[in-house]
Amino acid sequence: MSKPDESGEDVDPDDGVVDLQSEDHPLERDEPADNRKSAAEREAIAAETEKYDARKIVTGEAKYTADYRTRFPELAEATIVRSGIPHGRVIDVDTSAAAAMDGVHAVITPWSEEVPDTLYSPSGQSYPEPSPWDTRVLSEHVRYVGDRIAAVAAVDAETADRAARKIDIEYEEYDAVFDIWDATDPEAPQLFAPEEVENETTGADYEQNLESHFEGEYGDPEGVIADADEERVLETEWETPYQSHCVPEPHTSIVYTDEDDRYNVITATQVPYHTRRQLSHVFDVAIRDIRVVKPRVGAGFGSKQEMVVEPVALALHRAAGIPVKLECTRREEFYALRNRHPMDLTMRTAVDEAGDPAAMDLSVRENSGAYGTHGMTVASNVATKAFPLYPRVPNMRFEGDVVHTNLPMGAAQRGYGAPQGMFVVEGHMDELARQLGEDPIEFRKRQAVREGDLDRAAAILKDDDRFARRIRSCGLRECIERGAAAIGYDDIGQPDDPHRHRGVGMALCAQGSGVAGKELGAAQLKMNEDGSFVLQVGGVDVGSGNDTMFTQIVGEVLGCDPADVVVKSSDTDFAPFDYGAYASSTTYISGRAVKKAAREARDRVLEWASRMLDEPARDLETGGGEVYSEESGASVTLEEVGYESVYGDEDREHIMGQGHHATDESPPPFGAQFLTAVVDETTGEYEVEKLVFAADCGVAINPPLVEGQIEGGVHMSYEFATSGTLQFGEAGQPETVGFRQYGMPRPDEQPPIESIVVETHEPTGPFGAKSIGELPTNGVPPALSNAIRDAVGVRITEIPIEPEDVKAALAARDGA
Amino acid sequence: MQVELELNGDTERFEAAKTDSLLDVLRKNGYTGAKRGCDTGACGFCTVIVDGKARNSCVVPASKADGSTVETIEGLGSQSDLHPVQEAFVDNTALQCGFCIPGMIMRSTALLGEDPDPTRDEIREGLSENLCRCTGYEKILDAVEDAADRMADESGAVAADGGHPGSGCDGPCGCEPGGGGT
Ligand code: FES
Ligand code: FES
Repeated sequence: MSKPDESGEDVDPDDGVVDLQSEDHPLERDEPADNRKSAAEREAIAAETEKYDARKIVTGEAKYTADYRTRFPELAEATIVRSGIPHGRVIDVDTSAAAAMDGVHAVITPWSEEVPDTLYSPSGQSYPEPSPWDTRVLSEHVRYVGDRIAAVAAVDAETADRAARKIDIEYEEYDAVFDIWDATDPEAPQLFAPEEVENETTGADYEQNLESHFEGEYGDPEGVIADADEERVLETEWETPYQSHCVPEPHTSIVYTDEDDRYNVITATQVPYHTRRQLSHVFDVAIRDIRVVKPRVGAGFGSKQEMVVEPVALALHRAAGIPVKLECTRREEFYALRNRHPMDLTMRTAVDEAGDPAAMDLSVRENSGAYGTHGMTVASNVATKAFPLYPRVPNMRFEGDVVHTNLPMGAAQRGYGAPQGMFVVEGHMDELARQLGEDPIEFRKRQAVREGDLDRAAAILKDDDRFARRIRSCGLRECIERGAAAIGYDDIGQPDDPHRHRGVGMALCAQGSGVAGKELGAAQLKMNEDGSFVLQVGGVDVGSGNDTMFTQIVGEVLGCDPADVVVKSSDTDFAPFDYGAYASSTTYISGRAVKKAAREARDRVLEWASRMLDEPARDLETGGGEVYSEESGASVTLEEVGYESVYGDEDREHIMGQGHHATDESPPPFGAQFLTAVVDETTGEYEVEKLVFAADCGVAINPPLVEGQIEGGVHMSYEFATSGTLQFGEAGQPETVGFRQYGMPRPDEQPPIESIVVETHEPTGPFGAKSIGELPTNGVPPALSNAIRDAVGVRITEIPIEPEDVKAALAARDGA
Repeated sequence: MQVELELNGDTERFEAAKTDSLLDVLRKNGYTGAKRGCDTGACGFCTVIVDGKARNSCVVPASKADGSTVETIEGLGSQSDLHPVQEAFVDNTALQCGFCIPGMIMRSTALLGEDPDPTRDEIREGLSENLCRCTGYEKILDAVEDAADRMADESGAVAADGGHPGSGCDGPCGCEPGGGGT
């Protein structure tokens, strides 16, 4: 690569606006006056509010689904019988020995009358799901080792397990395919016959095991790359593996029929409303006859953005006639449930005479595994999340193939394609900078997105401009500067041992805040007479602290203590609608809904206070648990307003507010991942010493919870880069079935993580907030590849990074 | 079979099957604070203290536990009167989904019982049987360090005021035992 002519120091931020104008995406935006508060004006937001559920968690009183067992005098426990072969047809299931056992309540197979034959998508996505309808409650045609064939409900789990082992399955075995490049060969075994799947997405071709093929571009990337001199084109290839969610609480559901003859489902889910709709579809039961309740959930990370075990539990409940609990084992979590999709990726760029990237072309081939849940959407997010880091590159192209194999299915996992996208794009951009002879950080500072840019990359796969977006907040440069300072970028020093080399790596990260144009959050706030509030909200807290964030938003609007807000969330009978906890949507979407509900309630509070104080409502303010007049200094407490509104002589009203939020906006939070690693040149072994992540998530509603998201996300990302993956035998047999084999980092294995919160203000978010949940999951693989490159000059493009790979690359470097 | 436990200070007798683990017995009898994360001794979510030692209760056969002294999260502190370790986890926001937390707190409590002033690396080592998927461990390490300080302050307070632990902290005086410490 030739060196650029100019160093590009300190680009004026004003030339940040890409000169592509769009009336649909103006830079300016109306923002309610109360949305922007200086640090000094904030009461409840940005404060260290105690986590809403903290006390019940530390005392062991928080109830997760399996803990509800004590509520049921009679409760059957269940086990799923899974396929032992990677591909075939179940010819016969002999359940007689199992069914005859003492304590067995029910045994179901694909042919049981309680088990519908309906095709559905288990993906917890909006309706109609963009994922194919390719799944049945139980399968005759099994497509991976772990596919569900039968299930047992018995007096306890032990009995159910014993009965399950007595079930005899006869298969007709088919050829299987495990490799994504072999799978599209015309000779390859076909996983889905036409009548076995309904798929509306582009480019599906099941004769080639293609769940989807898509492409999108703008400008003329092909032409620019073809016309560029060879030394101005860089092509790199990358590979990413399966990653387990290692979800702390295994998938668990309890299903029973209540006294109103309605199905009640207590379940560990991120998507109660989607699950209710999908159960209604699968079992042909009216939505009104199903109630889905989310108790405390032991996290999801996307694994519970799915209707996974609920339909099996419901079918068993129908067969057994008593409440049924289905709790998966850790073994099942690893080999049979959900994972991050493996991918092979290729990236090409061409740089212009000035040394700026003129074209980018990224192609991905994703292993969807045996079923297509989230297959196409995750693959599309590879570029639609990573390309927006560089929206001024005028020519962009992206294509993807989503391929079925006889291996476990991928699904949603925290980051949702972005970790793979950032690995490629940020590894590639670092390599490009180095080959241009530039400092990789300065290079990216110059090229990366700025406030004011119009980002078309997020919409590269769309037919029109509706989902292009104006970047209204971007703290990326501050993230880079503060991250660099924290890692000691300017002087990292070298170990004494001459064989050991320290390198520093950085990767930029971006995500979204909800799925643009496909979200709805809703909330209702009711005032109690003592001035406290009950918030009913669909938003789903699976551990990250959304319930706490909601109380802070209510507190900020109404001037009450967040502790005076009781949250009742995620019960489809009592809480307003919400799409669920995914796509980093809860603060941005559900938080806005809560804010609107609180504002509506506040209007009524002010109206009542105005009568009580005999002053116009427009002169009144809320704060410190009171409504007060700036004019006269008079005030009433929220409690006085509460009592007066409910028990007043002349008039009475239950003060309430409702809010819902839907939008085409999805502002990206940004971040910079830094790390230092020491590489031993003789062995290829490396050690990550320290991880620093600086995040711009707008205004952090609860800074310690934001730091928690960063640290947890970086942990998952570190694992993705270094240790976690699933191994399979030659016949697709799972070999990784437990935590110890898998290699999830333990407290003594996890390098220290420093989190830095960089504040910007996102005018479309509640009090300036964007999302944080997924962003920090994206950076360690590219940052580590870049650090190793920095340390010893070799480029590793496959994760998890094994010492042997580094050693082999070093040997190649030295011409061995 | 019957299992007798000295459980959180009370003598309890439970019915148990031969194959039951201590975790099974606890959970079947309403002690659901200990969680089942793997059932193979690999995650630590089920940690309780057996005869003074932190153990993964899913791999302790109920028959072996018979006659032992068992402490679970239910016996530690209550929501309005937290144990210093619990308090430190709350004040350091050292928890997210919480599924690992009862086990983590029992392990930390046992650790601080053995070593009241561990270094950060010793805490990492001491907690290495316990996984957490949510926190990246940073705030948990902060919490255990903070808990050590709080407990040292408390025992310091005992010495200074002649042996009245927590005096001046039980009433509604608004003071913060351990100094808040976040
Ligand atoms: S459940 Fe006991 S160690 Fe995992
Ligand atoms: S807080 Fe979720 S596993 Fe530790």
